Amino acid sequence: MAGSNERWWNQPELWVEVFAILNIAFLTFDIYLAHSVNQFRNPAEYIPLLFSATSPVALIVALTQRVRRRIWWKILGHLVGWSAILVGLTGVSLHLESSFFYERTIQSLTYSAPFAAPLAYAGLGFVLVMNRMVDPGSVEWARWILLFTMGGFIGNFIFSLADHAANGFFLAVEWVPVAASAVAIGFLCITLLTEVPRWFIDVSAAVLILEAGVGLWGFVLHTMGNLRGPSVHAFDNFIFGAPPMAPLLFPNLAVLGLIGLWQLRNKEYAEPLVTVTQGT
Amino acid sequence: MSFRPVFIAVVIAFALILAAFLLNRARPKVETEQPTADLVRATGKCAECHTRTQYSVVHEFEMSMHARKGVNCLECHQPAQGQEKKDHHGFVISAQLTPGNCRGCHENIYQQFLRSRHSAPAWAAVYGEKGLTPEQVSFSETYQPGGTRRPPNPLAELEGTSAKTSGCDQCHSVGKPNTDGTVGNCTVCHTRHTSSVRIARLPTTCAQCHMGPDHSQIEIYEESRHGILFQAQEKLLNLDAPPQTLTTRDMFVPTCATCHMSGINGIGVTHDPSERLSFYLANMITDRRPNYAAAQARMKQVCSQCHTPGLVERVYAQAEQVVQTTNQRVQKAQDIVNGLRKGGVLTGPPFSYPIDFVFFNLWHYDGRTSKHGAFMGGADFVQWHGNYPMLEKTVQLKSMAEELRRQHGRVK
Repeated sequence: MAGSNERWWNQPELWVEVFAILNIAFLTFDIYLAHSVNQFRNPAEYIPLLFSATSPVALIVALTQRVRRRIWWKILGHLVGWSAILVGLTGVSLHLESSFFYERTIQSLTYSAPFAAPLAYAGLGFVLVMNRMVDPGSVEWARWILLFTMGGFIGNFIFSLADHAANGFFLAVEWVPVAASAVAIGFLCITLLTEVPRWFIDVSAAVLILEAGVGLWGFVLHTMGNLRGPSVHAFDNFIFGAPPMAPLLFPNLAVLGLIGLWQLRNKEYAEPLVTVTQGT
Repeated sequence: MSFRPVFIAVVIAFALILAAFLLNRARPKVETEQPTADLVRATGKCAECHTRTQYSVVHEFEMSMHARKGVNCLECHQPAQGQEKKDHHGFVISAQLTPGNCRGCHENIYQQFLRSRHSAPAWAAVYGEKGLTPEQVSFSETYQPGGTRRPPNPLAELEGTSAKTSGCDQCHSVGKPNTDGTVGNCTVCHTRHTSSVRIARLPTTCAQCHMGPDHSQIEIYEESRHGILFQAQEKLLNLDAPPQTLTTRDMFVPTCATCHMSGINGIGVTHDPSERLSFYLANMITDRRPNYAAAQARMKQVCSQCHTPGLVERVYAQAEQVVQTTNQRVQKAQDIVNGLRKGGVLTGPPFSYPIDFVFFNLWHYDGRTSKHGAFMGGADFVQWHGNYPMLEKTVQLKSMAEELRRQHGRVK
């Protein structure tokens, strides 16, 4: 298995594991903000909050057992992973009460609750499960990571489009994340659909680094907008204003994508394609 | 170095961006082309919660012309000048809506309303000048002399706060002074979220207030030929017709609004019914209004949209005759009561004696009903709810006055 004899910093599966732990932990704060809009009206809204707060503990424990008692790393990982998938898919079902599915108009789509947001949990759950079921030294593992990254950017595309449409694309700069995530999807799609040469992997990595920049810029813009928000209380501005964490998905997914591209680049199939034209 | 993967990647990216543009382009311009980001956001954000908490409000708004024209919640609910601001889930809204919010788009209508008796005079009829600024009183007196600069209603003062709040206020607050300096309440006639012209044209809307023994307009209307035809043919009328293009093809049977306010067949719309009223019929002794001739000409012009000039003139001549005779009867009754006060038989504040109430009912109920009935085609109200009770109460007054003089003579 690739990585087991490598130094820890050269083990992609370990970086992916850390990625998942940090993301689930960070979702605690994100969910607290998101469900504060609704003031946790439905008791079920506490479930993802509690899950996000407790799961990282289990995963950290699992991580400590990854080398010596790997079975516990697998068991705990599967437990948290499948729970995350359940939380995510249940969340999508509960978010489906959104008016869009009643009216099915573009207006109602634009203003519906973020019904696909809980898929973040499902995605992280799949990452954890996949990390335990697929050989991290294989091309397949890299491609799964890239698939999850592309899924994340599809989410970015849909939500930056819908959320900024809710603002009427009042500022032209609001089109930037829409275009940026479309570009990311385009490049990641190719890495999944076909064998790509090393230079294309490098170009895709550069695209992802740019995506990270887009996200950080968006975070600054959202924060500045919220600091100038109409509410008297700054906290209310952050709850009801521009979602402060949403742009950070870009650098977040860029990190995951770079891990996948790094692994893909290290494999044999990524050598430049050579067409034999003479001698044989 | 193969160009193919880059080409395909760029094509996929461009296709997604193009799809995003097309999707956004499909959205109504009235939603996306707003002066501020908050206004765009409000278009659906408010409904997202309020559909769950007050569904009827959102539903009423969705049915309204405002919604069809792309007006969104924040455009009415954002604080106007002088209004208290309220922090509400990321928006700043007005705690209380007044004509200050409506006038942003309907300034002309608000100015017409301010000149009418629905405005400050309606409020002053109960409270006098209380709550009105000197400027508001002065403005109103310019157009409705004697309507605002007056003492509070003595009967209302006697009945007390709860009677005023739950009784008088419910109608007379159509002209209430608001904390932001405006006067009035547009939603009394137009309702709040439906903001409906149709509802404003219904007789039942006016009947919220213009009913009862002291101003029996709805009862008179329902007895009249206009009212009977409306009841029979309401479904055939186009009550939703835009005010600017309303014709007798839309409303070939009149309601209150048709005669008193609507711009039918090109006649100008007005929110000041006084423009077409030539008498102060509600007064104890009816006088001509200052704009008597012009107002009567305007009202006759409305009548002429359906009726021949001969009929119109006849109705006015007969009605003015009723006004004269009613004035005479009320004057006689007043002379009796004044005589008692002059002679020291009646002392103290108004409404201290049963005879005060008999006289009040005579002019305030029966006299008004007789006059309103004459102008609005309510024959039964002219006779059996007007002249006959006036006659009866005159006899009662005389008898009570004699008895009071006799008692006063004995006491002296």
